[in-house]
Amino acid sequence: MNTSVGTALSVDTALSVGTAPSVHTAFEKQTPAIGFGRRGFFALGLAAGSAAFLAACGNDSQASVSSGGGKDGGTLKFGWALVTSWDPVTSSAGWDVHALSLVYTGLTKLDEKANAVPALASSWKYNDDGRQVTFTLRPGLTFSDGTALDATAVKKSIERGRDYEKSLIAAQLANIKAVSAPNPTTVVIDLSTPDFQVPNLMAGKSGHVVSPTAFEKDAADLATKPVGHGPFQLTAYVPQAGAKLVRFEKYWDAKNIHLDKFELYPAPEPATAVAAIQSGRLDLAQIPGAQVAAAKAAGLEVQIDPSLVVSVLDVNITKAPFTDPKVALALKYAVDRKAIVDTESFGHATVNYQPFPAGYVGHSTELEDLYAFDPAKAKTLLAEAGHPDGVDLTLTTTVPEGLPEQLQSQLAQSGFRVKIETIPAAQATQIMYIQHSRALAVDQFAGRESPVQAFQVLFGEQGLMNPGRQTSPEIAAAIAKVVATPLDSPDYPVNLQAATAVAVKAQPNVFISSVPRILARRKNVTPVGSYLMAQRFEGVRVS
Amino acid sequence: MTALRRALQLRSARISLGLLVLVLLVGIFGGWLAPQDPLAQNTAAILQGPGSGQWLGTDYLGRDVLSRLIDGTGRSVFGALEAVGVAMLLGIPAGLASVVFGRVFEWVTLRFVDSLMTLPFIIFAVAVAGILGNGPNQAMLTIGVLLSALFYRITRAATLGLTSAQYVEMAELLGASKNWVIRVHVWNKVLPTIAVTTANCLAAALLAVSSLTFLGIGVQPPVSTWGGMLASDLNFLSQRPWAPVIPSLMIILTVAACNALADAIRDTTGVSPTARTGITGPAAGAGSAQGIGPAQGIGPAQAGPAQGASAR
Amino acid sequence: MVALLEPAVPLAGPAEAVARPVALQWAVRFGTGLGRALAIVVPVGLVSTFVTFALGSFSNSNPAAAVLGDLATPADIARMNHQFGLDQPLLVQYWQWITAALHGDLGTSWFTTIPVADSIKQTLPVDLSLTALAMLIALLLGGAAGIAAALRPGSRFDRAVTALCAIASTVPAFVIGIGLIIVFSVLLPVLPSGGYVPFTENPVQWLRFLILPALALSLDLTADIARQLRNSLVGTLRENFVTGAEVRGLSRRRVVFRHALRNAAGPTLTVLGVRVPQLIGGAVITETLFNLPGMSKLTLDAAAQQDIPVIQGTLLVAITIVLLANVLVNGMLVRLRPQARRRSG
Repeated sequence: MNTSVGTALSVDTALSVGTAPSVHTAFEKQTPAIGFGRRGFFALGLAAGSAAFLAACGNDSQASVSSGGGKDGGTLKFGWALVTSWDPVTSSAGWDVHALSLVYTGLTKLDEKANAVPALASSWKYNDDGRQVTFTLRPGLTFSDGTALDATAVKKSIERGRDYEKSLIAAQLANIKAVSAPNPTTVVIDLSTPDFQVPNLMAGKSGHVVSPTAFEKDAADLATKPVGHGPFQLTAYVPQAGAKLVRFEKYWDAKNIHLDKFELYPAPEPATAVAAIQSGRLDLAQIPGAQVAAAKAAGLEVQIDPSLVVSVLDVNITKAPFTDPKVALALKYAVDRKAIVDTESFGHATVNYQPFPAGYVGHSTELEDLYAFDPAKAKTLLAEAGHPDGVDLTLTTTVPEGLPEQLQSQLAQSGFRVKIETIPAAQATQIMYIQHSRALAVDQFAGRESPVQAFQVLFGEQGLMNPGRQTSPEIAAAIAKVVATPLDSPDYPVNLQAATAVAVKAQPNVFISSVPRILARRKNVTPVGSYLMAQRFEGVRVS
Repeated sequence: MTALRRALQLRSARISLGLLVLVLLVGIFGGWLAPQDPLAQNTAAILQGPGSGQWLGTDYLGRDVLSRLIDGTGRSVFGALEAVGVAMLLGIPAGLASVVFGRVFEWVTLRFVDSLMTLPFIIFAVAVAGILGNGPNQAMLTIGVLLSALFYRITRAATLGLTSAQYVEMAELLGASKNWVIRVHVWNKVLPTIAVTTANCLAAALLAVSSLTFLGIGVQPPVSTWGGMLASDLNFLSQRPWAPVIPSLMIILTVAACNALADAIRDTTGVSPTARTGITGPAAGAGSAQGIGPAQGIGPAQAGPAQGASAR
Repeated sequence: MVALLEPAVPLAGPAEAVARPVALQWAVRFGTGLGRALAIVVPVGLVSTFVTFALGSFSNSNPAAAVLGDLATPADIARMNHQFGLDQPLLVQYWQWITAALHGDLGTSWFTTIPVADSIKQTLPVDLSLTALAMLIALLLGGAAGIAAALRPGSRFDRAVTALCAIASTVPAFVIGIGLIIVFSVLLPVLPSGGYVPFTENPVQWLRFLILPALALSLDLTADIARQLRNSLVGTLRENFVTGAEVRGLSRRRVVFRHALRNAAGPTLTVLGVRVPQLIGGAVITETLFNLPGMSKLTLDAAAQQDIPVIQGTLLVAITIVLLANVLVNGMLVRLRPQARRRSG
């Protein structure tokens, strides 16, 4: 099973990494706290301030405002995030999957509810014991460089992801024993142990198919010049500034792509996002909850889509005071999640005690109100743990304003005397995940294509967001059961939700809320699809 | 100090000093003066306008803005004082010594000070904070070290001119030791110059503190600083549009008071406003809105990098 | 009042000036001036660049941790440190770095593996654009205000200008920037509040993106120039040669613009020259506020990430610009001052 992230990779040269150096980590997003102010260590922002003052809408738009629909063409300027690398194999941030999905496609893709549906493969079938899955590839596909996208190309691409010395997705593909291409439209994947999660896996970075011509010629080039098969292809890229893409005519689903050009920019500063969209610099961008009212007042359309992003506290149970499990449990009751949602995201996030949002197959309904805010109970638990007068605690964060301050005040009611420690975002990986040196940290988890991967990250022994590195055999057993259940079986949701329940109750992670994707768009942009995982642009029109 | 007393004859100096004393008092006693607990959150009433309990409204966590402003005064002011203190401690003795201890020491310290002045101010402070830790002391120490270059040059220029003055030569001829001459004559003449520089540097350091806290350096939430309040106000302009005015005003007024005081001292003690003392323009140098201005290299022999500091 | 500083350039007396051929004299003066400048600039440059370089060694970041993140084992860290030459003595590293820099090689970023020199080539034009525009605004606005005020010394206009200059000097650039954004991007949405496009790509958009930050940045310099020019001009206009010119019937306008200004220009140009490095190396907050992808922002981001090679590279470039500007300014001073003295003598 492709679970362990603990293998030390041996690399000879520095990998091509962008602004967010973390490896599949929770600090994946370049804007750590969506829904609230600042971006990392040095933050600056300027609120639109538009609600109170504004009369007119934006000025120099590239497309005229009209009540849209029906026409093809146009350019969409999206303020979201650039990549750490345009090569999915060396991309070091999970968040890159959104941008990478513009130029790459895997055998499958994730639909709105993050379930695997056909993409490059029109169908797939497992054998009975789950050790072999056969994908049927669509015929006649090519990469953007003209190379044929046939089963051999897919085979080479998957093998590269697994075997390339600099691959950061190798651990995800470790369970793949062999890939064969008996004919140009059939890909057969043989697994070492039964694993029904492969279709999920193939939908994300781990499964993005890269042109063998490109990586055999010069793999390092791929970091800035991707060659794949996706809705768009890259024409220009300036790191940290922007990327320009054009529609890829030969995309298998090109009939659903209605944009001629696509421009990708880094996320605007949360506070100036509305002004950026209004002025026409961007057509579509993510805005924090605090700006929703201002965006609407400025004449923009706002859509609040659920996503897999979850706000969570990483707890290290090998560090005081959490060495006593009662203290870790007390912490779960000491957080007033509703107040946080109201203040941080102005009510647009959703209180959540588990990693998956409602609507996702892994969301377990039995966990409603599991740890409702109860300072009295928390105090009792602390007393039982031998801390009748409360306990001292350091909260580590990269963005000290907002959530950490609020937590500090809330936890005080239960007897936790919190001190806020700020560390630069770039050191977070080092301090939190390599050294496991902090007891409690503010974090966000951006989700994975496969819920089993999510479990590994959050609860697994080598899990990045499980700094205590401890897990229970019940969780392992529950995960094993999920892995052995076919995705289309009626038992799958049952087993997965059971695993969620077991893990959430056994592990110390404190989930706070599910963070939605709040997108503001100009009126001439049709609504974009609401995707739990990677954002997709099928059906989007700009008039 | 006679210099200060003379300066106080001007009304602008009296107003400025009064304002500065007020700010200092608020800085020291802020904790007691604040009407409410600056840390008390009320998440049911965030981003409210001025009301009965909160004269300046509440911030993004429902805390009283006026209390936070008062409480933050000390942090900003003492940060600036710390920086200037370090600068004086390092720069003045070095400047005096460079005149006394011979040409080698002089040349070495001159070049070292010139090097300090080529370092881009804010970025360097940010880099140091990023590397050595985000505490307020690290940032202020860096600024202090960089500012000391200015005190060095001023002290040195003032002392140099004096040690070659005729009456000093006379005193030496009459048997007075160099130390005595420095103590009695030089010090009294150098002091006004130093006073002017101190006032200007205070203004510049305050601006630097505000800029750095604005960028998030040296801010230890949940406690407040002027720059930090300004920065977080920017995130909520749509809810409280006039909010940035308040911390901005505090910064501007205090800086202006320092500069006005410097001008007053200069005007009344005859310290020349032009390039001769190493600061160009009345407040163009230290204390200008962009931070420490150029300490101009005088002539090629003394030509050195005159970049100074910039708090933009 | 005792002169408070060492004498400036020893002046050649009129007799000596005539004695040698002019070209040789100029060459000698230039040569000694340059030599003197170098004797100062080189050691200063070495020390400040060394300080910059040494700063990086205090960081506990290393390329392996930066790149591999949690997968980095101590063996990986040691190997990558060796690869980057980080296990050598500090002075050796410094020497390698500075000699490579002289060839235009500033190393590569630990995070993006993009050569630092390339990143700087991409970002420096933004700073230069911003600085150039700010200087232009400051010259035009400040020059006009300074001249106008000097022509009516002591008048209400003059005092108003002086007062405005004093105020402008105390308002921090970021406050001005915020105010400009509120007025021009929010109240009247005519200008964008962030972003950048190169001049070569779209001059009109370039101007629209840069005008607000350039204004914010230039205000302090405008005040300085206005004040400096006004003071110098007032002083110059009292000089004998001006009265002489007026007596000879030259119009006031001609006197001011052709003669007086040239003399008053010296200190003003000095102010300008000295401010340029400040503007380039120090526009950190303006760039952050207006989201300009300039070198200061690059350094800020690098400082946040502890991408040491980038920090060292950008600081080196900033220091070089400062030193160059100083050599230039001092050269100009040497040229302008003796002239000024001779004329009024």
